[in-house]
Amino acid sequence: MPADLSLRALRGHALLALGYVAFAFFVLFPIVWIFLMSLKSFGDIIAYPPRFLFTPTLENYVEVLFGGEAERAAGEIPDLLRFLMNSVIISGGAVLVSIVLAVPAAYALARRRTGGARNIQFTFLSFRFAPELSIILPLYVIYTRTGLYDTYAGMILVHQLITLPLSVLILASFFRDIPHEIEEAARVDGANVLRILVSIVVPIARPGIASAMIIAFIFSWNNLIFGLVLAGGATRPVTMGILQSMTFDQIKWGLMAASAMVSALPGMVAAILFQRQITRGLTLGAVK
Amino acid sequence: MPPRRKDASENGLARGTFLLLLAPALILLFLSLYPFLSGLYTSLTDQKLYAAGGTRFVGFANFVRLAGTPLFWTALGNTLSYTALVVAIQLPLGLAFALLLDVPGRLQSFFRSVLVLPLLIPPVVAGLMWKTMMQPQQGVLNYLLSFLGIDPQPWLANPATAMISVVLIDTWLFTPLAAIILLAGLQSISVELTEAARVDGASPWQIVRRIKLPLLGPYVLLVALFRVSDALKSLEIIYATTRGGPLNATRTLHVMAYEEAYRWSNLGRAMAIVFVLWALCYAISGTLLALWQRQEARRYAR
Repeated sequence: MPADLSLRALRGHALLALGYVAFAFFVLFPIVWIFLMSLKSFGDIIAYPPRFLFTPTLENYVEVLFGGEAERAAGEIPDLLRFLMNSVIISGGAVLVSIVLAVPAAYALARRRTGGARNIQFTFLSFRFAPELSIILPLYVIYTRTGLYDTYAGMILVHQLITLPLSVLILASFFRDIPHEIEEAARVDGANVLRILVSIVVPIARPGIASAMIIAFIFSWNNLIFGLVLAGGATRPVTMGILQSMTFDQIKWGLMAASAMVSALPGMVAAILFQRQITRGLTLGAVK
Repeated sequence: MPPRRKDASENGLARGTFLLLLAPALILLFLSLYPFLSGLYTSLTDQKLYAAGGTRFVGFANFVRLAGTPLFWTALGNTLSYTALVVAIQLPLGLAFALLLDVPGRLQSFFRSVLVLPLLIPPVVAGLMWKTMMQPQQGVLNYLLSFLGIDPQPWLANPATAMISVVLIDTWLFTPLAAIILLAGLQSISVELTEAARVDGASPWQIVRRIKLPLLGPYVLLVALFRVSDALKSLEIIYATTRGGPLNATRTLHVMAYEEAYRWSNLGRAMAIVFVLWALCYAISGTLLALWQRQEARRYAR
């Protein structure tokens, strides 16, 4: 191999390595930094220049999860465990309702290739375009009149605006990848659509269903604005709880960092366990 | 090969079954039409959020008043510059990431899982995280930049830098989504095509410029569509960091509408702002969607 060619290859490799380092730094630094901050004592947090080496402590986590009742009542520390519980109920409930409705809907869209089906699919997509306030501000008025304000049922219902279109779009692309010859045999044997859906399509598409559920859960979990408008003291989700107790008080960085880590936990755990499904689901949900 | 017969299985489900399977999901979503329409009506009234009763129909007064409010034009300008900056930064950066992660290698799958991480963090939490990192005096960001010889910046605290700061946070959070979509586009390009070009002596850079980028068109549009439609109505990052300040430098239409409703209780006026934003979102996103559909149609026709 000529020397200049290998030199060029070497330069290419160096450039690539540099790219990877820059990329990893860009994505990871904020997460790592806040994680480190969550393990720092107050003195280490306010130190300047910032400390990269310190004695880790769990005091921020202990305080934010089990801290003083008085501060909690005054709203100075987030009632994190309760907010987490609320988020689990709301996002979990929303995902369950969505998946039951989205599986048949997505199957219908995947198995009918007329212009009508395409238009309906775009209708689902278009729910992403509308500013949330155009629906939830009027919904606030309706909810306060009907008693749905600050209830789990009300929150689960409104979260369908996120979870349902997302689930339908992701599932439709998964279902489309299933060759329909598999279903033909069952159809010839006289099975109806529901039967085919339940005993053939759903088992085959299980990874797809899992990925739709995980992604819908994360997007619902990450949402702030529904909680901001439609949740009160009883159903306050974790995003709103953290915002409320943290924004005005600049000094409680340690508590903020610990709550941030805890609130991002479901996403992080999902990322570790289901990395491939999440990437695939996000891709399909966005692209197809 | 004989032409494939267009039988029932080719066209899929019968119309009745199709609608039956679809109905529950569609009905649930179309329930939101009621609040939407009632909101539209509210924008024509002087309804208050908290005061009960006494709502009057005022026609287009809210919209007329809005046009005469300087803050509205500021907010409109902020909304548009936020969106333009988001796309201008995240599209090339996402493309760079996608090209990087498209290079086959051992670490590739690790880097791809790293890519997803920001998307799993709630935007509000990301906003709070960055707010602490962007502290002018003690923040780690200024500390890191000092090594590059860059003077400490006030970031979110200064009207001149606040907008670019929130855009940077948005960039950290959502460039991965752009990269994921573009990566899917890169991987849809057939290996034979790039392989043939390589055999003909094309350099990697030439392959990217002459083959990959032109084929990426629909995916670039898709990234623009998603990032534009989300940026136009962004609220969470701004709400967690500046709340529209300092001096309204980051007050976008969505933030302004929220404040109008919750701070000043003017629901009618808030809804007028929301519907101006809604029209903007649909005009811009609709145009991008139509462009994308045309490209897709052309691709299938080929």
